[in-house]
Amino acid sequence: MPKAIVTYVRSVDYVSEKFGLLAMYLIFMMIGVLLLNTVTRNILNIPLHWCIEMAQFTLAAYYTIGGAHSLQLGDHVRMDLIYDRLSEIGKARMDVATSAFLIFYLCTLLFGSISSMNYAIETNQRNFSMWNPSMIPIKVIMVFGIALMLAQALSTLFKDIAKARGEAIQ
Amino acid sequence: MTHELIAITMFGTMLVMLLTGQRVFAAIGFVAAGTALLLYGQGAIEMPFNAAFKLFNWFPLLTLPLFVFMGYMLSESGIADDLYKMFHVWFGNIKGGLAIGTIGLMVVISAMNGLSVAGMAIGASIALPEMLRRGYDKVMITGVIQAGSSLGILVPPSVVLVLYGMIARQPVGQLWLAGAVPGLMMATLFIVYIAVRCRLQPHLGPTLSREELDVPFAEKLRLLSAGIIPFLIFFCMTGLFVMGITSLVESSAVGATGALLAAFVRRRLTFAVIHQTVKKTLGISCMFLWIILAALAFGAVFDGIGAVRAIESLFITRWELTPWQVLLMMQLSYIFMGMFLDDTAMLVIVAPLYVPLVIALGFDPIWYGVLYTITCQIAYMTPPFGYNLFLMRAMAPKEVSLADIYRSIVPFVLVMTFGLILVMAFPQLALWLPGLVYGR
Repeated sequence: MPKAIVTYVRSVDYVSEKFGLLAMYLIFMMIGVLLLNTVTRNILNIPLHWCIEMAQFTLAAYYTIGGAHSLQLGDHVRMDLIYDRLSEIGKARMDVATSAFLIFYLCTLLFGSISSMNYAIETNQRNFSMWNPSMIPIKVIMVFGIALMLAQALSTLFKDIAKARGEAIQ
Repeated sequence: MTHELIAITMFGTMLVMLLTGQRVFAAIGFVAAGTALLLYGQGAIEMPFNAAFKLFNWFPLLTLPLFVFMGYMLSESGIADDLYKMFHVWFGNIKGGLAIGTIGLMVVISAMNGLSVAGMAIGASIALPEMLRRGYDKVMITGVIQAGSSLGILVPPSVVLVLYGMIARQPVGQLWLAGAVPGLMMATLFIVYIAVRCRLQPHLGPTLSREELDVPFAEKLRLLSAGIIPFLIFFCMTGLFVMGITSLVESSAVGATGALLAAFVRRRLTFAVIHQTVKKTLGISCMFLWIILAALAFGAVFDGIGAVRAIESLFITRWELTPWQVLLMMQLSYIFMGMFLDDTAMLVIVAPLYVPLVIALGFDPIWYGVLYTITCQIAYMTPPFGYNLFLMRAMAPKEVSLADIYRSIVPFVLVMTFGLILVMAFPQLALWLPGLVYGR
């Protein structure tokens, strides 16, 4: 494999892993915010209307930013009726052949998210609610997460190509 | 192309793509994005991404990662060890008693968590090795754990019913309560099956040795205290929610905190445990959420071409089916599609097509939610595509082969189908409890 590709794979894997680590711990933010809401609403009787929305934003950040790392860990299920009977090299070949689907889907997501982000920036879009927060930050985060997922999909593709040719990048 | 043909082509392409073994979310997302672009041109480029905002508005989905987290935390916290010991001592002298105890354990776990992941993790790490060591038949106990853990989505709380509630616009509290009696009934059916089978073939589930059963009565009573923490968690989570004190998402945060506290009290809350738990939670949650994201885009395209009306006209106008025949067709098609399609994606794609029809035909959507969930349980266990099968394969010890896992589910799927028929024939099984509590 050319050196540039090896460098690409290593750096993308590194970045995905670090952001994955960040995303993992967002679960505590969701728990914390919702717990705060439970306590203030039921016990202190001071309803905080931003909590649920904050948790929603966190969830969106959680799965978009964590997506790349979950791809890296191979946590996404496959229908393995045929796939499971292939050898390791056969699996890699199959993945190379079908990776275009994954990449096409991620590209449309990326285009869509960028266009949605631009709209939010141009119109200074706010969420229609009592808290009325700006939608720009979460859209920027989601664009970043999807872009990272796409970068990781390419990195995985390079690794699969290497594996299909009987080499290994590491 | 007519709309029906587009719908069939979309489905067909998706099934073929799934067969290639590409990740499920990518296969579904590709078909959705591709069809949207072909049908509506460049203007549809935002369509797949807009699904993220539909998902955003489905904020009860927040319960999903929290339940996954809670499930793993509970299995790490060690409260299942005590529970298992309790069932072990109390049921050990019956033939097949440990398998019966495992079903009991699974019911308790299911009452604390809304997914089958927790039950699978606990079953495979605690119950399975213990039963193997005592000479239980591996095929039977593999089935026991898969079937038992599938109760997680029927006994309240249940994530599947949360998802169904969002799609069908039905109150989650009523749906959860509706699942309680059928869930306990299903557990009873499993127990009856195990007891009868082990009476006829005692070698499948031998009783414990006398030394092991020689536990003083005081000790037996003390072991019952293992049920205290699970009961507290159940009360704080489902209890407070049903009483209308906490909201749904709040109750899942309370549950997650409860699991953390349980682990802390039992001195299991180390950094390594926390890290492993959040890592597994991220993996499973991302898998589910990306599938839901892709399936929502698919559903939006399907909706755009008027698939709901196409199915309605096919079932009612063209085939002239009676309401019950339509219902039967729906259940059969779920089981058939469940073989090829991921179960979460199926719910997101197919339920929006069927639920309006169910309501139009005069059936109760709450009752149908329970039927749907039982069908899901069956789909979780039937090859080639089932989450419990995948989890079992990943977690099972070496002596349990893939063939064992496939063989193990057969009797339980039959028992579950029997349970499904009972709930279909006697809707009161599902509707009695919500009626009692909410006065429907």
